[in-house]
Amino acid sequence: MPEAVEITDRGYTTGANSAAPAQFVEHFFRHETGRLHGALLRLLGVGNFALAEDVAQEAMLRALRTWAMGGVPANPSAWITQVAMNLGRDALRHQRMAGGKESAIITHLELGAPAAPAPAAAVDATHEIRDDALRLLFVCCHPSIAPDAQVVLALKVLCGFGTGEIARAFLSSEAAIEKQLTRTKQRIAAAGLAFDLPAGEDLAPRLDGVLAALYLLFNEGHKASAGDRLLREELSAEAIRLTSLVAAHPAGDTPPTHALLALMLLTAARFPSRVDAHGDLLRLDDQDRSKWDQALIGRGLVALAAAAQGNELSNYHLQAGIAAIHCTAGDAASTDWGRILAHYDELHRRQTSPIIALNRAVAVTHVHGPQAGLDTLAAIPDRDRLESHYLLHAVLGELNWRLGRHAAAAGNFRRALHLAQVGPEQTYLSRMLERSAQVSHGDGSEVAAPVDAQRSNSADSVEPGAESTPKG
Amino acid sequence: MATPTASKPFMLLFRNTGPENHAHLSPEQRQQLVTHWNAWFNGLVADGRATEGQPLELETRVVSGAGGTRIVDGPFAEAKEAVGGFVKLLVADLAEATAIAQRHPGLAYGMIIEIREMTPNCHLGVDTLAGGA
Repeated sequence: MPEAVEITDRGYTTGANSAAPAQFVEHFFRHETGRLHGALLRLLGVGNFALAEDVAQEAMLRALRTWAMGGVPANPSAWITQVAMNLGRDALRHQRMAGGKESAIITHLELGAPAAPAPAAAVDATHEIRDDALRLLFVCCHPSIAPDAQVVLALKVLCGFGTGEIARAFLSSEAAIEKQLTRTKQRIAAAGLAFDLPAGEDLAPRLDGVLAALYLLFNEGHKASAGDRLLREELSAEAIRLTSLVAAHPAGDTPPTHALLALMLLTAARFPSRVDAHGDLLRLDDQDRSKWDQALIGRGLVALAAAAQGNELSNYHLQAGIAAIHCTAGDAASTDWGRILAHYDELHRRQTSPIIALNRAVAVTHVHGPQAGLDTLAAIPDRDRLESHYLLHAVLGELNWRLGRHAAAAGNFRRALHLAQVGPEQTYLSRMLERSAQVSHGDGSEVAAPVDAQRSNSADSVEPGAESTPKG
Repeated sequence: MATPTASKPFMLLFRNTGPENHAHLSPEQRQQLVTHWNAWFNGLVADGRATEGQPLELETRVVSGAGGTRIVDGPFAEAKEAVGGFVKLLVADLAEATAIAQRHPGLAYGMIIEIREMTPNCHLGVDTLAGGA
């Protein structure tokens, strides 16, 4: 083997070495995937994306074999990085000897691709790893790639999800995901991207693109989709991890980044209460607020404070503000709907989105009553874009129910149920329909829950999720 | 280590452990496999039934012929046959060693385990069962 790794004593013996081997941190292999790809792309260049993936894969398979039969080393990350970088340099040397042609890889090598990170400079190495991860994120979110393809690529090469897992999360087939990834990588190779952080004038628009992709990734996890709920929540956790990375880096330390991070944290804080013991969706009113993750709420409020440094107000700020109002209300009744409505008014003013308009109508209902809500819904200009969306009909059903129009409500819920695509939403709507259909003598006094819609930046790319399932 | 006198040494030989067996696993599944594999071994160390274990490098050199004139480099053509690692056990009998092998998490990914009892005598003339060397 060329360039043997300097780790020799890999075996177990009883006696001095019988201590249990090191334990992995959670998601070690998954996160290591992103780190390795970052380090290898710095060595090999973005033009060699496929080669970098192959090398990382080989390093990981060596680690698996060696660590399974010889125990996990004390610093697995250093071990695997060294193996990968050695393999990467071998690949470079191979190409150089075989080619003679002016391939991208040789050019990159001769431009002085950096050697392996010096083990002594631990702080520098940490920064380098962080920078590489951020560079890789900027490559994944390059504007030449479609937004959904950006998310899938980031999940694969940066977050270390398998194609099978991505397919499960997106209710797609593994073959379709593979195909999309191949196309995306071809596009990257063709675009001749540098493995660099954008600077100067380029930075702001590129950062916007990165934040948009992270927002999309978070919402994919937030969706109340069928499929694997736990896996989806991990997508949201990854979005938070990557956004934290961006926020901590000088290149990404901007008010919108912190606002997006706040929005994610304040939304994720409420994940534990979204569903009941049967996995059925709960309305915000019916959620057990004691299950909300106070540590995440605290982090979210800190991020929101950081977002307030400066004069910039992004849509993320407004949505995070709405989430913060929900999170800090002691109970549903004391929620400050007036302030929430003010936030929606501003969002509505800044962005034409039927979903935002719908959520705003729910806030109107809370402040001015169900008839005002219905009037607001009727006045949405591009309302026809919502007609095929179950959420509009669910909200209409709830408002009609509260106005005592039970037959109309039943009709709305029936239509909503027909349009809803995923299990938890269907279960919820079935319950509402049953109530509307059964109770003709009800007085409609039941307190309705708010649509909690701090997401929904764009009706085209974002489907409403669990909490915006609604009620109203 | 206190070795029960009734125990006999066995060698578990792991075959078909090459990278192609695990290439299709996601990083999360790989982590699980390594974790379960180590738990299997560590459990045996903890109750004194495993004394040693180690992976072998994939690179192979095979020497044969009188005077060692025939030397073949590289992995075996039949990679599945290559021994990828081993574990030494001290257990009562072949049945116990077999039961231990049956619980190995690597079996789900194609690994083949050969179980061989080691003879009580070694080259140094030491009776390993008598607890020498």
